Amino acid sequence: MIPSLGRILILASLLVAAAGSLLGFVTGRTLSADGLKWARRFAYFYAALIILATLVMEYALLTHDFSVSYVAQVGSRLVPTWVTVVSLWSSLEGSILFWGFVLGSYILIATLFTKDRYQEYMPDAIGTWLGCATFFSFLIAGPANPFRTMSPIPADGPGPNPLLQNHLLMAIHPPFLYLGYVGMTIPFGFACAALIKGRLGHAILKPLRESLLLPWCFQSIAIMLGGWWAYEVLGWGGYWAWDPVENASLLPWLTATGALHSLLVVERRGILKGWTVTLVQSTFLLVLLGTFMTRSGVFNSVHSFTQSAIGPTILVFLAAMLIYTIALLALRIDKLEAEGRIESTASREAFFLLNNLVFVLLTFTVLIGTCFPLIVEAVRGKQMSVGRPYFDRMVVPLGTALLFLMGVGPALPWGRASKEQIRKSLLMPIITAGIFAVVGYIANVRHPWTLITIALGGYAIHVTFNQMFVPMIQRLRKGESAVTAFVEGQLLRGRRRFGSYVVHAAMIVVLVAIAVSSSMRQTAEVHLTKGQTQKVAGYDLTFTGIEDHQEPHRVSTIARFILARNGKQLAILEPRMNQYETMREPIGSPDVYTTIAGDFYVSIAALDPVSNSVAVNVYVTPMVGWIWIAVIVMGLGGVMALIPPRTPRAATANVGDSVAAETA
Amino acid sequence: MTFLLLLVLPVYGQTLQVPDAQQFVGNPQGTPLAGDQLYRRTGEVSALLRCPVCQGLSVADSPSEMAVNMKRQVRELLARGYTEEQILRYFELSYGQFVLLKPKFEGVNALVWVFPVAALLIGVLIVFTKIRKLSTDNRQPTTDNPVDNPDDEYLRRVRDMVGGGKA
Amino acid sequence: MNRTVVIVGSLIAFALVGVLFIGLGKNPAEIRSPLVGRPAPAFALREVGTGRTIDIAQFRGKPVIINFWATWCGPCWEEHPTLVANARQLGDNVQFVGVVFQDAEEKIQGFLNQRGTAYPTLVDQEGKTAIAYGVGGVPETYFLDRNGVIRAKYVGPMDSEILRANLTKATN
Repeated sequence: MIPSLGRILILASLLVAAAGSLLGFVTGRTLSADGLKWARRFAYFYAALIILATLVMEYALLTHDFSVSYVAQVGSRLVPTWVTVVSLWSSLEGSILFWGFVLGSYILIATLFTKDRYQEYMPDAIGTWLGCATFFSFLIAGPANPFRTMSPIPADGPGPNPLLQNHLLMAIHPPFLYLGYVGMTIPFGFACAALIKGRLGHAILKPLRESLLLPWCFQSIAIMLGGWWAYEVLGWGGYWAWDPVENASLLPWLTATGALHSLLVVERRGILKGWTVTLVQSTFLLVLLGTFMTRSGVFNSVHSFTQSAIGPTILVFLAAMLIYTIALLALRIDKLEAEGRIESTASREAFFLLNNLVFVLLTFTVLIGTCFPLIVEAVRGKQMSVGRPYFDRMVVPLGTALLFLMGVGPALPWGRASKEQIRKSLLMPIITAGIFAVVGYIANVRHPWTLITIALGGYAIHVTFNQMFVPMIQRLRKGESAVTAFVEGQLLRGRRRFGSYVVHAAMIVVLVAIAVSSSMRQTAEVHLTKGQTQKVAGYDLTFTGIEDHQEPHRVSTIARFILARNGKQLAILEPRMNQYETMREPIGSPDVYTTIAGDFYVSIAALDPVSNSVAVNVYVTPMVGWIWIAVIVMGLGGVMALIPPRTPRAATANVGDSVAAETA
Repeated sequence: MTFLLLLVLPVYGQTLQVPDAQQFVGNPQGTPLAGDQLYRRTGEVSALLRCPVCQGLSVADSPSEMAVNMKRQVRELLARGYTEEQILRYFELSYGQFVLLKPKFEGVNALVWVFPVAALLIGVLIVFTKIRKLSTDNRQPTTDNPVDNPDDEYLRRVRDMVGGGKA
Repeated sequence: MNRTVVIVGSLIAFALVGVLFIGLGKNPAEIRSPLVGRPAPAFALREVGTGRTIDIAQFRGKPVIINFWATWCGPCWEEHPTLVANARQLGDNVQFVGVVFQDAEEKIQGFLNQRGTAYPTLVDQEGKTAIAYGVGGVPETYFLDRNGVIRAKYVGPMDSEILRANLTKATN
């Protein structure tokens, strides 16, 4: 029953999306108000159908209905309930259904929030959104069908991939990633609509910015969660291996960040319109490329799903979207007229251009590095690898350049600046840079590049905090109390500016933390028998024994350690080897002791219960916890910048102040 | 008796022999390492080698047995005084360039190093050309306030408040 | 019509889609060996069961098939009967050798007792021979000609057809 219900809902969603998309594009030419009304209804209808289909699947999973093919593939009566809920996106077919779910939700919200506004752009935007929705419903109905009927009906299933059951982060990383990835469809729709109309008016900038910023926040956190998960689960003590699928998640984030910045220049100066639209469209194309890389089996990666028929289908869609985008740009980009100009190189606008340059270079480098082995194999038939040493070498200078730009850019005013202004704003932060460098040196950092990064970080932080609190300082000067000045100036009126600078501050922390955690990491291989203690990086590690722990779906062998320093016990560490019924080799699970200063990380290399001895890899990494927290702050800052300003009634009270705060 | 021994010796008398790096890359060309430095260099060199059975992980990071064997081999060769180039060459000769995580700067592979640098130079050129073009164009610099436009959000709100209805 | 967009865009689109399309036809897990056409690295290892030391150099003069495997490898179990049957059929014309690494000798002995064998199985304790041969996983099979030069490598379990097809490369 459920497989048929699911199939019907999906097929219906396919038809509705296709019809709605067509209607949207037709209305874009006829400009009929009725047409738009119906296009919006189709959008809502599509959303309802796909969301319902997903709920049906989740119901089937929770009731262990093994007559449904996907449930038979990933369901299991033995696993905990949260794993069952999460198995919706654990395997390929379910994950495409989940994609549809997120897309439907985004289209629903976007259609709702644009009610009675932007009439000029909406038909083509809806046409584009539903066009993408049609493709994904087609995938779910055809190559990636999770609703096939099983006959005979199995009694139980194998459960999702054990590697995905090891940690709670598995539950939240994919949803965040989809909220980021799929969300980029909405700004893509707006960008296409602007191109089709040949106009990027001031009005459309707000929805474009907001529909780009929200997924961006999710994507930032998703990328961080991926790194954190790799760190906590995979056992090699690092968080980023430049694996093709990791790169796939990073590429659209890079262009989206570039687009967010160049959008600001469009807002303030009316220039770079065509470029901004190109970046937004590239973001969506990179999302499609990313999902192809993950699902096609073409790239050798830790995370990829196994090879399937989906690959070629996505490639065809990617090719179609490439043609659509290039055609639109070729025919219409010249119509997006620049309204202003840049006055001097030492201006914020110019630095925004440099910012975009760096982000494009980063995108290009990561893309080329990831695809190069494929290119060589296609052209020469030889196999070669492009791995971490390459990416680290190429990306680090660009990351440092970004840090530099984040320091100097916001210190410069818009338009033209006098030599005096420039000198004042650029010289003061040098002192902070110096202080940071000295602190780094005292904290034992000796690596020159890391010290430079820390100094640049200090410089950038000074400038960022300076700019961040301008509204508050303006109010303090007028005589307001500190609390009012903060609440009114920063939180109530200046959210966009404040949020943006919070994002910058967090990003600076991330870059510095990455530099420090990479260059200052200490590793050790420790062999211990029961009761033995060894000194590692200033800590005392004592091995207290091996223990077996039986769970319904796995057997865990735990090696227990006591971590102490200067005689004081700090933690009990329990790295383990998990043997799942369905896998041949056990999967290791490390344990980590986290403090503000850094992490003490232990993962099992070898275990011998007979001789009660163990060999472990120990990684002592400073500041790595700062990365996770800073990215969360970054996401929150972005969300803060999104919350719309207060209602018109209150806005009249302090109009000038609101404008000053809004325009960062 | 001797005759029997002579028959048997060729078989039992053979010593165990495993292929050695020496056959591939010759004698060690560096200084033998030991202790902490050996540990550190093992990590560094094995980070440049790709574990052939894993998907993308380096020999330094991979927990698989194949990688552990390779790492042991790297440590042994470093202790004997082989240089990083020799060790990488040794693995390259048996596994192919696939096993090198850092692409060699030769032939087609050199392009992966060249392209980003070329992109940087071209990009800088484009940006500075664009800045010059945008600053010499004869246009009025826009003011700080949003452009006065019928669909402007702010104006619309003001109009709404004043009771002007939809723009 | 903006010509820059068309040129740059088309270039990127063709290159990207082209490379990905070609990539779809390949299996990234298959690593091709650079040793094909080169002399096989020499080794002399201990045989399971008899304890004899067997040097592959002694097999010069006839084609040799070296099969790397392990008892924990599923496909190796499937492949084993094919190897034994072909070894028996080809008799003295072709020398088969099995090399096991990353395994316990009792397990290997048990496996051979249970499933039979028709050729020597050697133990490569530390996996050094496997590394020298560029073995990534198991099973992997090398085909050497009469002069000890590697003429073919096959990754994965073989059936008789594949085995014979690769063997012809070594006998021509």
